[in-house]
Amino acid sequence: MPDPDFSTFPLRAKGHAYEDFADGQVFDHHWGRTLGQGDSTLFAATALRFTPLYFNDEYARACGHPGIVVDPLLVLCTAVGLSVEDLSEAGGPFLGIGPVRFLLPVYPGDTLSARSEVVSRRESEKRPGFGIVTWRTEGRNQHGDLVVTYERTNLVAKKRAR
Amino acid sequence: MTELLSRLTGDDNYFEDFAVGQRMRHARGTTVDEVENQLLTKLVMNTADAHFNEQRMAATPFGQRLVFGLITGSMVIGLTTQDTAENALAELGLDRLMFRAPVFHGDTLSAYTEVLETRDADRDDAGIVRFKHWGLKQDDTVVFEGEREVLVKRRSHWSAK
Repeated sequence: MPDPDFSTFPLRAKGHAYEDFADGQVFDHHWGRTLGQGDSTLFAATALRFTPLYFNDEYARACGHPGIVVDPLLVLCTAVGLSVEDLSEAGGPFLGIGPVRFLLPVYPGDTLSARSEVVSRRESEKRPGFGIVTWRTEGRNQHGDLVVTYERTNLVAKKRAR
Repeated sequence: MTELLSRLTGDDNYFEDFAVGQRMRHARGTTVDEVENQLLTKLVMNTADAHFNEQRMAATPFGQRLVFGLITGSMVIGLTTQDTAENALAELGLDRLMFRAPVFHGDTLSAYTEVLETRDADRDDAGIVRFKHWGLKQDDTVVFEGEREVLVKRRSHWSAK
């Protein structure tokens, strides 16, 4: 018998199952994320985002910005990332992401937070043990201004399939 | 800036250069390794360990960690970016993003684009281009597709700046 007996430690489970979602339910997602200049430049460079607005301060200023603009794909990925534990961590791939709108530029130092509402849920005909859930997510900056909105749809495991 | 702004970017991708129906096979491909999927997936706070727990994923039908779909999408859009948004003033939105097949570490992505629409913007120094993008992996499976709208500088206003 190992000491301590790790098999007796209760699991701190994460995420939600299909049955946990109800139409109109709202999730204020955890943490928030301040997006620094290093985050933006790292993301843009690694993802081959060769738009100088995203990594050249002087160029961005000449285009009317106070400095570089945070790559909007980083803004979208971070809003989704912050929502994963509440919405999709417990199982099931993306089926699609619907209209994504980038409403305002995000600048280094801005803090993004995310909030989602359940738009619809239904059983999957093809995959017993799964449902299909659509959420509408809003990402806001520290002033409460909307910077990104989108809908995403995932396959979500039911409790018995987990 | 002390030098001409327009010398920093290409001269073949202003708004005037895009026409509906135009197709592009983008020159560069990229292999997706741990730098892309581990670093970027964690950078954006994605908590799902399907993307970073090799031992757990080895016991699933996938057999290994999955690349986060939006990293696949970002890399595919990245492969298109010099040709479609080097002279962008803003990226306005995305639509109909579909993740059609799983991508794993070591897969190599390539990108294809068609221009769906060009139209005036609410400012006269730029226009809006709507693109359709496809991302393929090395066996030519389509792994990602989506539409994207970009506000692109007009040569008439920006090429002498």
